[in-house]
Amino acid sequence: MDPLLLARLQFATTTSIHFLFVVVTLGLVTLLVGLQTAGYLTGKPVYERLTRFWGQLYVINYVLGIATGIVMEFQFGLNWSGLSRYVGNVFGAPLAIETLVAFFLESTFLGMWIFGWHRLRRGVHLALLWGVALTAYASAFWIMVANAWLQHPVGYEVRDGVAHLTDFGALVTNPTFGFAFGHVVSASLVTGGLLMAAVSAWHLLRRTPDFLLFRTSLRLGLVTAALAVSALQGFGFAQFGPVGQLQPTKFGGGPGREAMVADWTARFGPGDWAPPVLSSVGLGFMILIGFALGCVWLLLPLLWRDWIIRLRFPLWLLLLGLPLPFVAVLLGWIAREVGRQPWVAYGLLPTAQAVSPVSPALMLASLIGFGLLLGALAVTNGTLLARHAARGALDPALGRPPAPDTDAHHQPVFA
Amino acid sequence: MELAWYALLGLFFAAYLVLGGYDYGVGLLLARRAGAGTGRAALTAVGPFFLGNEVWLVATVGILFGAFPTLEGELLAGFYPVVLGALAGVVLVTAGVQLRGRAGGEATRAGWDRIVVVGGVLAALGWGALLGGLLQGVPLTADGHVAGVGHVVTPFVAATGLTLLALVAVHGATFLTLRLPPADAPALARLARGLVPAALTAVAATTVLGLLSDRVRAAVARPALAVLLPLVVVAALLVARAALRRGRAGVAFAATATALALPAPLVGAALWPRILVATGDPAASLTVAGAAASRPTLALLGWLVLPLLPALLGFQAMCWWVFRGRIDGRAPVYW
Repeated sequence: MDPLLLARLQFATTTSIHFLFVVVTLGLVTLLVGLQTAGYLTGKPVYERLTRFWGQLYVINYVLGIATGIVMEFQFGLNWSGLSRYVGNVFGAPLAIETLVAFFLESTFLGMWIFGWHRLRRGVHLALLWGVALTAYASAFWIMVANAWLQHPVGYEVRDGVAHLTDFGALVTNPTFGFAFGHVVSASLVTGGLLMAAVSAWHLLRRTPDFLLFRTSLRLGLVTAALAVSALQGFGFAQFGPVGQLQPTKFGGGPGREAMVADWTARFGPGDWAPPVLSSVGLGFMILIGFALGCVWLLLPLLWRDWIIRLRFPLWLLLLGLPLPFVAVLLGWIAREVGRQPWVAYGLLPTAQAVSPVSPALMLASLIGFGLLLGALAVTNGTLLARHAARGALDPALGRPPAPDTDAHHQPVFA
Repeated sequence: MELAWYALLGLFFAAYLVLGGYDYGVGLLLARRAGAGTGRAALTAVGPFFLGNEVWLVATVGILFGAFPTLEGELLAGFYPVVLGALAGVVLVTAGVQLRGRAGGEATRAGWDRIVVVGGVLAALGWGALLGGLLQGVPLTADGHVAGVGHVVTPFVAATGLTLLALVAVHGATFLTLRLPPADAPALARLARGLVPAALTAVAATTVLGLLSDRVRAAVARPALAVLLPLVVVAALLVARAALRRGRAGVAFAATATALALPAPLVGAALWPRILVATGDPAASLTVAGAAASRPTLALLGWLVLPLLPALLGFQAMCWWVFRGRIDGRAPVYW
């Protein structure tokens, strides 16, 4: 089999699965910050209980998501050694910054947050969650800077066939970066908000005893999803301008596309320089889903006097709508990434040149092995989230007060 | 400037082997079905540090990609099966530790225990084999790629993998001796002491195989440092054993941590200034300078990352400080 195809399939699988985790993480952590801050300021126990319940779901998703993220990071070197060889000087920088400045701190903070309940001062504990959220956003920022560079390489010059960094500022002001970052962040907020609203809706439909608690999170989730979905649509449509100009081959034909292909044929020789036909089919469906999700605005007036709960059918709508954002983020991501083909760095490095000189058998083993492993993780994550969501907020393991101290004798280690 | 980044790379990988090492070591010890430090108690001991330990690996690869892009591609692709195994191990441990406590019955939990054990074994073997593979050099093609992956299949690489596995097991048992309630400490110290001879044997076997291997002898630029490595590891293991016998768990942990911290920097120093040494024609080797990113990239990373290093280390230290001491009935249980 063709190593290129295998490597691409593996990248598509890993990225897609990883991205499902990412949107939930980024969306939920924002909502969690709101909940814990509200609890800190008002002192109302309902907010602490909400933080523990949603925090538990967040942590499950985060830890399993890390596993997919690590595979993602290693994959660049394993399967795409040409990427680091030819453009690593430029593309590697934002990724290195992401791991050191964002992810490193994010996980360190989160570890302390998970185990710091009842042990740290409340202010410190809250600050840790703020740290987790801010570094999560920083992480998304730098990953999108790196991805935008692959879409539209800027700020470099090629010497001896290798790209060298000349202007880092250009990477951050890349026209394919800003709107896309906003788009991804608002997609995460829509997903997080809808997840929160749908789980609350399920509990309200089941009439679990925690009515007030789930009423609160239903409202929070719904309002967040509504605000974010408008931003999502705005950032989405705003991208057509720069993308059409900078990547004319991405979404369909036109004179720009022909000129681009002619230019590449002159520089790189004849070849099939158009992305696969199917690359932008999903985009239409994604836009449809985006409009469908926009209908959450219609549910907002029903929050008045709890009509949304009394009527019950809006709750069913929320439950049924839960898969939609996940489908949409996958379709959107596929449109952005497959539409970039046959380039790994658009107009600079063809995908075929970036693949590692590894035997197809090894690549296939890796594809099947990690495909199954990560697929199993995604399914497990879904199952666990559903089970813990269904269990309700009575006593989540996260933030459970410690048992009464039976052994007061406390030995310090480095005494 | 390359040297500074190379040192930083070594520091991060060494820190990962020390910190991730006890995660995997504790994971390995879940293979015991009963006794002190099995099951939940073991995971509670690791708990608060677990997420903060793994980030050192991610950051190591981040530095590798940002500061040594050519090395990143060639190293990971050139050691494909080894990296694959280690990576699968890391993923299994990460997922298993989290999922174990979420599973329903005893049987499921035992299943997750086995997954964590397998993950710990794979991760330790993989990273050990990678260090061994570096030390024996790689066949490089004319255009600078590593030729095939058959070069890793040698007794020496197997020995380095097993050595790291043994070291990690001793380290994990020592960590548990340090962290679990005082009542459990003697039993765990006995366990850790019992593992030391196995580790000593592995180190000795690796040393002999390394001295006998033409490839290792040819690849190492500084034989003194390469010979120093097993000597220091043996010394650290002996110190750990003596300290465990006297009930000085802190000293023992410092010793096993030293044994895991030294391999990465000493392998790097023994090969310096080369990193991927070409078997056959050493002149064709990939040097650290040749693998490094160009000046503007290193300068940029330096300005952005180095001022933050104290913060990175500071927050890690805060985590160790907040959750220092032995766990007791009041320790927060989450995993």
